[in-house]
Amino acid sequence: MENKKLDITKRIIGKDLIRYFILIYWVLFWLLNIVDKVIGGAHFLFVGKDRFAQIQRFFESLGLGEPIIANIALIITAGLETFAFVFFSGALYHFAKKNIDATRSWFFIGIALTLITYTYFTVGDQVFGDHFELLEHGLFWFIALLSWIIFIRVDKIQLFDNFSIGKKQFIASTIFVVAITAVTTFSIFWHNHTSFVERTQAVNAKQITDNKYKIQFPFLAGSKAFENSIAKFKTDNPTEKITYIYTAPTQLRLGESDGLIIYIQTEKK
Amino acid sequence: MKEKKLIQYLVLIHWTLFSATTVIDKIVPDVYPFWVGADFYTLFIKFFASLGLTDPIFATIALAGISFLEIVAFACFAFSLFNLYKMKDKIAEQWFYRGIGIAILTFSFFSIGDQVFGDRFTLLEHTIFWMILVVSWVIYKYNSLTDERVMKFTMSKDIKIGLLVGAVLTVITSYSIVAFAKDSYASKTKPLQGEEVVEGVYKFDVPFLGDKITLENTIKTFEETHTDLKVNYIYTGPDELNSKKKTHMLLYVFTERQK
Repeated sequence: MENKKLDITKRIIGKDLIRYFILIYWVLFWLLNIVDKVIGGAHFLFVGKDRFAQIQRFFESLGLGEPIIANIALIITAGLETFAFVFFSGALYHFAKKNIDATRSWFFIGIALTLITYTYFTVGDQVFGDHFELLEHGLFWFIALLSWIIFIRVDKIQLFDNFSIGKKQFIASTIFVVAITAVTTFSIFWHNHTSFVERTQAVNAKQITDNKYKIQFPFLAGSKAFENSIAKFKTDNPTEKITYIYTAPTQLRLGESDGLIIYIQTEKK
Repeated sequence: MKEKKLIQYLVLIHWTLFSATTVIDKIVPDVYPFWVGADFYTLFIKFFASLGLTDPIFATIALAGISFLEIVAFACFAFSLFNLYKMKDKIAEQWFYRGIGIAILTFSFFSIGDQVFGDRFTLLEHTIFWMILVVSWVIYKYNSLTDERVMKFTMSKDIKIGLLVGAVLTVITSYSIVAFAKDSYASKTKPLQGEEVVEGVYKFDVPFLGDKITLENTIKTFEETHTDLKVNYIYTGPDELNSKKKTHMLLYVFTERQK
């Protein structure tokens, strides 16, 4: 986007769309981060991430277990995220109103706040020794920086200016999409019809040795399946008492997709 | 201030802090108050041991070599930042280029090591950082060649509204954070209530904040309230069973009647 010279015409609708996508993405990204902090904890229709617990644990590992420290760190984060959200929203508003210069100013501040937020997180990740989060935050920092460059430079990218599709191609692609969608949808619903029961269904135990049994759960199995399987095992083996359950590590489960395998050890009552 | 300059500051501050904390992590090799960091020494010892090189001298030399490169990269970024602040843009760019070069070299060494040690996840991590470094340099450089736009930030009506909305949202979010923290911290060590899911088997849903004290209090309270039961066995529900929230932990307590 050149200074005060953005050529917004129908011809560059593709470039406008890219800018809209970038703006909408960052608005929603920060909005949901704020919602996550406002809600706190897992609720119906929103699980989110328990940031307080995560940050509190991090600070406790430093020997700073007082919740006030985690609260301050989270409030600083929330402030940065909130203002990033506000500035991206303002940029989206100005872009919709075709105030191009204002769009750029608001978007720039949003990006600067995003970069500051991720640099702040990166320092924290190093201090707390969490290299997975360091990678995650490094990537978001990079994506924010790249978003800025693409947003201001998209005019320099050669895009096709005709979005229309020929009649023949439209019909062929529609038939193709409808056919594949029908097959896929049928397959998904059929799988749901036949497999959802596995979520809670008890699984039979297979005897391995005198006092050891194996239960191989399907991938879909949840805690209810585990509980029902234990109940069934106890009913089927009334003279046995469970003394130990061994969870097979993933290295031993390679041939069985990701389904859980447990071994039950028993002794006579 | 020009936009390009501010972007350069943000890029430089990021890499200066990144490399500074990396160096501190090497100077402080273990867990201390105010610093946890990653235990690279142990990691290197294990990596070299997997190659059959169990003598710690190999890991120590490798770690010292890598640390040297990281220190040089940090010095380059710090000098670059200093020169940018002193308006010596050309010298700042030269120092940044040196820093990026050294950092790329460091991540290239890491990637070679990851291949040798067979650690594919770390290989991905290091390659991503390698790429971010290259692109950071391009953005720093590309910004400095063109686009001299000055950042405009006047206290216009819309900016005032934006700041007000931001402040109100921050207050609301902060209130919510503090209220949630108060509730969850207060129940951090409180014993959990179990649910009998199978005859003699009780399930406990341990929250993310719960720790060993929570477990100990839970078992103690359970035994006090179920004097007729004897705890035989405690089973930690693996992640595969936990669809509610991945950070929670499922705990099953197997009991039998006291004789």
